[in-house]
Amino acid sequence: MKLKFLLASGAIALGLSSSGLRSAETVKVGVLHSLSGTMAISETSLRDILLFTFDEINARGGVLGRKIEPVVVDGASNWPLFAEKAKQLLEQDKVAVTFGCWTSVSRKSVLPVYERNNGLLFYPVQYEGEEESQNVAYTAEAVNQQATPAVDYYLKEGKKKFYLLGSDYVYPQTTNLVLLEYLLSKGVPLANIGGGFRRDGAGKIISAGKYTPFGHTDYQQIVAEIKQFAASGDACVISTLNGDTNVPFFKEYAASGLTAETCPVVSFSISEDEFRGLPADKLVGQLGCWTYFQSLNTPANKKFVADFQAWLKKSSVPGLVKEGRVTCSPMVLSYVGVYLWKAAVEKAGSFEVDKVRAAWKSGLTFDGPGGKVTTQKNMHLTKNVYIGETRADGQFKIVSSFDHVYGEPWLKGKFK
Amino acid sequence: MKAFLLLPCLLALLFATPGRAAATENPRALIARAATEAQPAQARQLLAAAVGRADESVAPLLDAWRRDALFLHAQADGGRVAVLLTGEKDERGAQSALRAADGQPLQDEAGRPVRLVAADLPAAEHDASLRRTMKAILDLAELAAVDPTRRARSVRNLGLAQDAEKLPVLLARESVESAPEVRRALREAIALLRLKDPREEIRVAALQELQAVSSLATSDLLARVVQEEAAAGNRLALEAARRAQQAVEWHRTKVDFAGTLFRGLSLGSILLVAALGLAITFGLMRVINMAHGELIAVGAYTTYLTQAVFGTGMTLPCFGLSVPIPGLQFSGAAREAYFIAALPASFLAAATVGLLLERGIIRFLYRRPLESLLATWGVSLVLQQAFRLIFGANNVQVSSPSYLSGNWLVGDVILGWNRVFVIGFALLIVLGMGLVLTRTSLGLLIRASMQNRTMAACLGVRTERVNALTFALGSGLAGLAGAFLSQIGNVGPSLGQGYIIDSFMVVVVGGVGSLGGTILSAFGIGGIDQVLQQYLPLVAPGLAWVPGIGGFLQNLAQDAAVFGKILVLAGIILFLQWRPAGLFAPRSRSLDE
Amino acid sequence: MNTPARQVPRLETILLLALGVALVVVLPLLHAAGLLSSFTLGVWGKYLCYAMLALSVDLLWGHTGLLSLGQALFFTLGGYLHGMYLMRMIGELGQYRKPIPDFLVFLGWERLPAFWEPFASFPFAVAMVFLIPGLVAFGFGYLAFRSRVKGVYFSILTQALTYAASIMFFRNNLLLGGNNGFTDFKFILGHRLDDPTTTRALYLASAVALFLAVAFCRWLRGTKFGLVQHAIRDGENRVLFSGYAAVHFKLFVFVVAALIAAVGGALYTPQVGIINPGEMQPEKSLEAVVWVALGGRGTLLGPVLGAVSVNALKSWATRAYPDLWLILLGGIFVLAVLFLPGGLVSLPARLRALFSRRPPS
Repeated sequence: MKLKFLLASGAIALGLSSSGLRSAETVKVGVLHSLSGTMAISETSLRDILLFTFDEINARGGVLGRKIEPVVVDGASNWPLFAEKAKQLLEQDKVAVTFGCWTSVSRKSVLPVYERNNGLLFYPVQYEGEEESQNVAYTAEAVNQQATPAVDYYLKEGKKKFYLLGSDYVYPQTTNLVLLEYLLSKGVPLANIGGGFRRDGAGKIISAGKYTPFGHTDYQQIVAEIKQFAASGDACVISTLNGDTNVPFFKEYAASGLTAETCPVVSFSISEDEFRGLPADKLVGQLGCWTYFQSLNTPANKKFVADFQAWLKKSSVPGLVKEGRVTCSPMVLSYVGVYLWKAAVEKAGSFEVDKVRAAWKSGLTFDGPGGKVTTQKNMHLTKNVYIGETRADGQFKIVSSFDHVYGEPWLKGKFK
Repeated sequence: MKAFLLLPCLLALLFATPGRAAATENPRALIARAATEAQPAQARQLLAAAVGRADESVAPLLDAWRRDALFLHAQADGGRVAVLLTGEKDERGAQSALRAADGQPLQDEAGRPVRLVAADLPAAEHDASLRRTMKAILDLAELAAVDPTRRARSVRNLGLAQDAEKLPVLLARESVESAPEVRRALREAIALLRLKDPREEIRVAALQELQAVSSLATSDLLARVVQEEAAAGNRLALEAARRAQQAVEWHRTKVDFAGTLFRGLSLGSILLVAALGLAITFGLMRVINMAHGELIAVGAYTTYLTQAVFGTGMTLPCFGLSVPIPGLQFSGAAREAYFIAALPASFLAAATVGLLLERGIIRFLYRRPLESLLATWGVSLVLQQAFRLIFGANNVQVSSPSYLSGNWLVGDVILGWNRVFVIGFALLIVLGMGLVLTRTSLGLLIRASMQNRTMAACLGVRTERVNALTFALGSGLAGLAGAFLSQIGNVGPSLGQGYIIDSFMVVVVGGVGSLGGTILSAFGIGGIDQVLQQYLPLVAPGLAWVPGIGGFLQNLAQDAAVFGKILVLAGIILFLQWRPAGLFAPRSRSLDE
Repeated sequence: MNTPARQVPRLETILLLALGVALVVVLPLLHAAGLLSSFTLGVWGKYLCYAMLALSVDLLWGHTGLLSLGQALFFTLGGYLHGMYLMRMIGELGQYRKPIPDFLVFLGWERLPAFWEPFASFPFAVAMVFLIPGLVAFGFGYLAFRSRVKGVYFSILTQALTYAASIMFFRNNLLLGGNNGFTDFKFILGHRLDDPTTTRALYLASAVALFLAVAFCRWLRGTKFGLVQHAIRDGENRVLFSGYAAVHFKLFVFVVAALIAAVGGALYTPQVGIINPGEMQPEKSLEAVVWVALGGRGTLLGPVLGAVSVNALKSWATRAYPDLWLILLGGIFVLAVLFLPGGLVSLPARLRALFSRRPPS
């Protein structure tokens, strides 16, 4: 059995059996997310929403009269494997477009592959910016579509002290540097920004905020520090902690007696989907900031949510979780991405990447569940930004919104 | 001075629009009207009218509003009335409705009590500004609360708000207050409000008072006062402010130190709980069990299931089959007792998995310990993916029961109940384990078999059975750890991965096979980690002298959580150079032990 | 000495030579003739780099009895050091169009930090690929072996080392790209990396390096040194009593194994196009140990076979059965340990034994 297995895998690895018969009626579309490993926790939902969107489009006749044929591959939370899979999708399957990636490092890993093969990748998750590839359509939130609006909201609420906390990787570090510049430009003194600073030899601040490693579980000391920081009652926390570490942080936060009234926390990495694993009753009133919330009270959103739930019920995708599902911003940005690609293809009259890109740059609009989005010349999206307070049922109550915010990837040095 | 200007403004606000009549209305009724008000501005004004006039009895009402449990019921005449739902749910899920305005049962035209279903009703809206007003109402209402701790908290909030016109309220309270902790809070709050006084001698007196109280909350304010007084050139006040600031900083130093001790103890007990199972399976049995982390996860998931069974039940994705798990529909205290039931359940669940693991795989590998590492790592991969397929890839929600989610504040040091509980329970389990191993016949058999399996077998010990039982015991302890860790961290498929390396470190540093060593090393590692986290940033500037990498080290030390971890690992590596077999090395006459 | 025990290695030599010819000559020829896609050849290049990592694990575990759970650290170090050269070769083609790597621009650097300067030279980078992992291995090994840390303690210690290093490398302030590591390489020795000829050259380099490493281990095993090595594995105390300084032998093997892993890592980086701290996390080293166990420890063919087959399986299953492949993989490990302790290479012998055990009736 083992031998047969090896032979089979060897044969496939040699590319003998997957020459790929291209059917005239379908168009191949890649789905590149981690379905196993540590990132499966977030990325599986994106696979699900993409399959839903493809079914929805296929039911209405497909794209340019061709049905979408998804090619789903697993990046397995392994970044070199992401690059290998991207290569496979582009060079062997010859997909017209790929929807995928969650972490910045997976995007960085596949980016050279897309640039070399002139492929097109749709990237749906909030990220640090400082990048503008012609081969990536960033439906994701840029830092100015999440972090700076949240600061504006806090300032309006009369907050004077800001504690910056994040996981130790590129997205939080970048966001906090941008936020530091932004806060200083708004007249917040350095002494009122908590979490600590790192300086270079010349004394220039090169990093701001408190950082914890991935998978950190012990937030006692940091919460005690925040408690002292917030004793004066006009402080807030800006958190860029990633998925898993939020749970121990918030459990510790609640256990120390800190609440949204005494010191609110705005988290940029907690959407409705992550919320499913958090103690919701402990988080009432804490803030989130995204370009979509499931609780948006618009007909388009209600229909979207209902359609997705109905699809979940009848779908037979293996490994699909059907219970307790919610929709969240990265999912909607994936959904919007597929429709924008469809619009671009239809405008270009072709699946060719160059023509599709030109159509994207011409400024397409789509009325999605989160409101109207418009494509920009810099491959990003203009969209609405919402600030929500968490409720005990794990949904967000929208407390503030900013319309048509331009997605700006280059923010360092912008606010002086 | 400002205060006298502010007061009329506030009064004008209170008595302005719709609240003109409001001034005489019962505060409860005012709140109920505010809840039904569709315009946020109107609602704010109505609610503002209740500030300072409400007593403790409105607290549950405001609390329900905040929790989205204050519902709006549309009446026949088109008006809306705010209602609270209480009592048992009937088969429709309906409960009896109470009018929020007076707490009386809501009746229909025929005079029958109305029963409503929560899910059908919209909850009263609220935003940050409304909640702040609610807080203001509660702050003043709390001043008259029966519980002194709550009175003290409300006094402190009033002081920090530095709202000078509240001074008379506080002075009035001081004249009747008898509880010492509230009196202390009152001293602090009154002194804080007096800092706004235009007369320097009053301010100096207030600052001396703050120096005596030295409360952490006043730290920022004092820093500001120092600046202001320095700018204004008031020498006396400046001096007093500086002294008060120093007193607060000294107090902070003490709090940080005591806090670090407690946190070290707490982290140590968590490491101990997580590693204890491994101290049995790896320490005594020499099975390098890489699936230990997943056994912890089994315990955590069992806690999650128990919670669901005590509550409303749920549906498991379970390989796409949607398996329904019925719930017992408990509520209140019975529901919160789930955690008590989860402890034995998680022990048994993990012990069962451990037993299967031992019978199915490990018993073939006792002679090949390093290969048990590989096989159990395979098992760990399988289990992780199985969790994903059974419970979904997302983390699941385990909520802490109320008896585990508060804290004691001892002189500004936070002692979380969950932490205290884990410390206590860690000690209990260790004690229990020690007793089982040294005082029972099972313990004797276990020790005999582990020391020399062949000899024990020759003497008639059924070593197969002892092996299986021991492994199940170690696995059960891992499951118990999972139940605790669910109260502190996340419950998800990769939960175990976060603890496996730490657990191995603890056992190895303690000395494989030594329970006492495991305890010592867990508390040692936990304590060192917390000390580093707390004090590394303090020594950071002192690292600048290191040639070449001084700046780098300095910045690294700022990130104490990261650097602390690296230093602990480096420390362990160096420690094992010094004691290659851990703290308490097993003694043996055998050459290749 | 014509005992049956000697016959197996002879068979192994033939198999190794055959495999070597297939990997070094046949695959590149197929590619040059256009019968094999660059993608497939690139994937095979990656497998061969992993095979070098597996070989280094086997040299320690299979031949010397030291189970290192930190070999991926040396692999990744090699990858990083070569990656630094590749980063310098990007020149001004990065996102910021600046002469220094993007992540440095991003961190606010205007000039290259001093330790980055010499990496523009390929010979220097290659020297570092040998020197730094070698020094780390020497320092760590000296401390560990001198105080006679052995068995599972050694394993846990190496795991702690790689874990600490990975936390360190995740930091942006180390100026090595933080969590994102190095990526977006463009040129190597003046050739474009996306050129099919470069792909072939890199593949060929990996195949030859692997072949040389195997040959070196093969030679070492035949020497007196190899005998002492095996003696240490089978009974270290007896070796000590016989008057051998086991520390020196172990230290030498540890450094050699680190170098083999480092060369594998250095060749790996340009072929997969990314190197980041995820590669030195403890589970990566564990994975390499499992490849060896599956292929057959204490042999030379085993690690290569194990690394290639598990990774080929991974490539295939993450596409065919994304939901189930971890269960498949874990299950295979368990079954292999239980029923095939000698690994894949022992399969033919076991099958033969199965047939010969039949009573001759």
